[in-house]
Amino acid sequence: MIDFLVSILSNPAIILGIIAAVGLIALRKSTSDIIKGTLKTLFGFLILQQGSNIIVNSLVPFSTMFTEAFGLTGIVAEDNSLVAAVQTVLGKETALILIFSFLINIVIARFTKYKYIFLTGHMMFSFAGTMAIVFNQMGVSSFWTVVIGSVIQGISMVIFPAISQPFVRKITGNDNVAFGFWGSSWISLSGWIGGKLGNKEKSSESMKVPKSIDFLKDMSILMGLIMIIVYVVTAIFVDPKVMAEISGGENPFQFAIFQALGFVVGILILLQGVRMFLGEIVPAFKGIGEKIVPGAKPALDVPIFFSFAPIAVTLGFLSALVGGLIVTFISSLLPVVVLPSVIGLFFMGGAAGVFGNATGGRRGAIISGFVLGFSWSLLVALAYPLVDVTQYGVQGLWFASPDAILVVIIIRLIGMLFGIHI
Amino acid sequence: MYIVSVCGMGFGTSLMLLMDIQSIAKDFGYEVDGEATDLGSAKGKKCDFMVASSEIAAELSDQDVPIISINNLLDKEELKQKVLPLIESIAKEESK
Repeated sequence: MIDFLVSILSNPAIILGIIAAVGLIALRKSTSDIIKGTLKTLFGFLILQQGSNIIVNSLVPFSTMFTEAFGLTGIVAEDNSLVAAVQTVLGKETALILIFSFLINIVIARFTKYKYIFLTGHMMFSFAGTMAIVFNQMGVSSFWTVVIGSVIQGISMVIFPAISQPFVRKITGNDNVAFGFWGSSWISLSGWIGGKLGNKEKSSESMKVPKSIDFLKDMSILMGLIMIIVYVVTAIFVDPKVMAEISGGENPFQFAIFQALGFVVGILILLQGVRMFLGEIVPAFKGIGEKIVPGAKPALDVPIFFSFAPIAVTLGFLSALVGGLIVTFISSLLPVVVLPSVIGLFFMGGAAGVFGNATGGRRGAIISGFVLGFSWSLLVALAYPLVDVTQYGVQGLWFASPDAILVVIIIRLIGMLFGIHI
Repeated sequence: MYIVSVCGMGFGTSLMLLMDIQSIAKDFGYEVDGEATDLGSAKGKKCDFMVASSEIAAELSDQDVPIISINNLLDKEELKQKVLPLIESIAKEESK
């Protein structure tokens, strides 16, 4: 009987299904809604795992190519893919931290003056996975991983929105919503620097940005182009004999291009899965949170700020890309090569542009985006030795969210006090 | 009626938009079904109308359903003014 229960609860898809079902029941949804919501959560999670398999399959040959070519490890900073890839090992812990941290968030919001309810579902998922990985590496048992991880995440879900709230007020002009995204501190900091060096009088929104770069808004296209460049350039530097071995005789460029496209396809499938289960879980969480916490401020995902200064988003992203590329080029000085991680650079760089524009106009937006791209990629490179994800069979991926990385650094420092070394 | 809300990734702001619209509709006694999706998969989806932030909505102009473009995603009043008349007219169509 116990074995049976443990086997059920070790399956993260089932835990998430239960969370969705309980949430929907608590909201008194109809039976058909409950069945639909629960099944879609299960489907979503299984789709996510399949997407993660595809990503891993196209990253493994890439990692081999990259190491052959440059004698260095190359990584892409992408949380969702990384956390999805470790779900077979740490899925139960991730799902449990996800739910308990949300409950702790509600309790803190209910009883303190910090009324933030963190509602960005994929960020909650990736942070929970991050906590599971970090504590697992430090040799903490499953039980304590869930306990400590949930408490840390629950507190983070309130503290980080609180830190960025002064900036959010400046941009939105009100105090009704908060910033629920694990790059908020870094974006606020970049925005602050942009403000110091910029000129508030000249807003980015009076500029004209060519229509021809509009296609960059479609993430799959942007990522496809950059990954093709990254894979093909790497393939050029691999010894042709070794390359023939890796590609199994296929034309090396064809092989590189289709591996790159396969990577993007994996991300698209993974995101489809994330979309499916979040579409069920987030509304349930939101309903419960708002019922229990009067005056709750929802902490929301980063693109809510994009509409305040769309041109600043483009400026911020482009300058963040430049900043990120500089880190890629100086990486022989660093522990690891951080490849341009498009998703992070777009969303965080874009937001840094908006924040920088609010404090320092168009120059502020450009500086802020650049600072974000450069300092973020540098943070990822420098923090890389702190957590080894290759022992879970994951190659070529590492954590992306700066707020989460800051928390990881603090955890590892405290761990050292207790004699747990890296 | 079935609506599609769109954002860059398909689970952040689009999901919030969808939930906000559903709650506005509910306040006025309408039942709205829908899904949140990303820009790439939104095209060609069957629905009564699509809704997105202004910069994303510009990319959807070639769709044959009405596209609602929201300038300030945090402004519930703007959302209500743009979405409610459409919901009302679609509900009228459906009840015919």
